[in-house]
Amino acid sequence: MLDENELWVLSFYRSSEISGSLFFGRLARSMKPGAIQRDMTKHFSDEAAHAWYWTSCIEELGAKPIKLSSSYQDQYLTAAGPPSNLMEILGITQVFEKRVVNQYGRHSQLPEINPIVQNTLTKIMADEKWHIEWIHDALKLMEPEYSKDLIDKTLKRFWEADQEVYRKTMQEHEQRLKYLVK
Amino acid sequence: MIDKNAVKEQIATFLKQPVSRLQDDTSLTSLVVESFILVEMIIDLQDAFGLRLVQEDMKDVKTVGDLTKLFVSRAGAAS
Repeated sequence: MLDENELWVLSFYRSSEISGSLFFGRLARSMKPGAIQRDMTKHFSDEAAHAWYWTSCIEELGAKPIKLSSSYQDQYLTAAGPPSNLMEILGITQVFEKRVVNQYGRHSQLPEINPIVQNTLTKIMADEKWHIEWIHDALKLMEPEYSKDLIDKTLKRFWEADQEVYRKTMQEHEQRLKYLVK
Repeated sequence: MIDKNAVKEQIATFLKQPVSRLQDDTSLTSLVVESFILVEMIIDLQDAFGLRLVQEDMKDVKTVGDLTKLFVSRAGAAS
């Protein structure tokens, strides 16, 4: 069985996966056909599947997901400001995905982790690594259009925002998350 | 050249809302339920008018009037 804090954390993961899927889904629909749209389509289908994995995981553990009003992505947009072009969207997503892999990796190393949660994390992390790779490649392809310097500066700005969001999230949900930072 | 009415028309089309709702002092966040939709709208406007913005351009944009002014001035600079 899940305790209250674990249920909140898994529901937070689930909610963030849903938000990511919806965002990329909408974006992919409005894009011109090409390699970026192709990979973004896979990306949003992965995120939707991850939300489904989390729902199944929570249900297998005898609980029901909590409906959360805001996602981690909303906090990113508040801290970093909304992106204004595709390069900035991919930049903020790259930073976000690295944070997710880091967070899931940390969670998967908890000594007494439930095997159902562990399996879910393992399945999702394999996809997340591909997400980081395709976005890295897409940003590389954008260098002639945006310049490497601008892309690097953009990523640096988003890294700084990421630190800020992570710090605030840990502070705001200290009680719920403390079992993850032992 | 584009004018502010053309920008408002495009916003209204994207949001499926009447242009009459888009006053210059209408806050952008009041028009959308999620910040993601605002991001998508800004990209749609750039595609529609053939312009490219970066985040820095948007930092002082809070209202419909700010946004239309930005697009009109950038279109003028590009022409």
